Amino acid sequence: MNFYEHTLVAKQDLSSTQITDVEKKYNDIINNTNGEVIKIEKWGLLNFAKKIKNYNKGFYIHYKFKGDGKTLNEIKKNITLDSSILRHLIIKYKKLDTETEYFKKDEN
Amino acid sequence: MKRKKFTKRSSNPLNKLSLFQKTDSKFSRKCPFSVKDAPIIDYKNIKVLKRYISDTDKILPSRITSVSQGKQKKLTNEIKKAKILGLL
Repeated sequence: MNFYEHTLVAKQDLSSTQITDVEKKYNDIINNTNGEVIKIEKWGLLNFAKKIKNYNKGFYIHYKFKGDGKTLNEIKKNITLDSSILRHLIIKYKKLDTETEYFKKDEN
Repeated sequence: MKRKKFTKRSSNPLNKLSLFQKTDSKFSRKCPFSVKDAPIIDYKNIKVLKRYISDTDKILPSRITSVSQGKQKKLTNEIKKAKILGLL
């Protein structure tokens, strides 16, 4: 079992219920295939540095999880068929840092 | 009309390097990531990574920013990860 970080970039024109569906879908995929989600961060709507497929903004969802090669294959298989996702990135870690959040909004 | 007298510019050899560097900041030899309480190099920490990119989104060489060799390798990898997600 290894530790991973996984970030999704979803399209801008999705409604708020569709985004929770996307978040739930990948949460279930990880939990059903020998994995375990440790933390989920929602970074919200952020601006891109450049246009990606004619979109200026995107929703970012960030997972920290424990898993196998099986879970990674299952995630990659689902993302290629998913039309609501623009980009994704999976990175392997030896230790997970769950405390610092770089995209936290100011509470005022 | 009298010509102005040619004055020698200051003979500091570091002035040649100031093509990309800000003029008022001094050339520092020490690596900024090898100090105590140094910022973390991570693809989510955009505020730090933005300092090591030029105006046209190129990665600055370590001879200008004086980052040590091992940390420069890590910096380039993290900047490339951030560019995939469209953060930089």
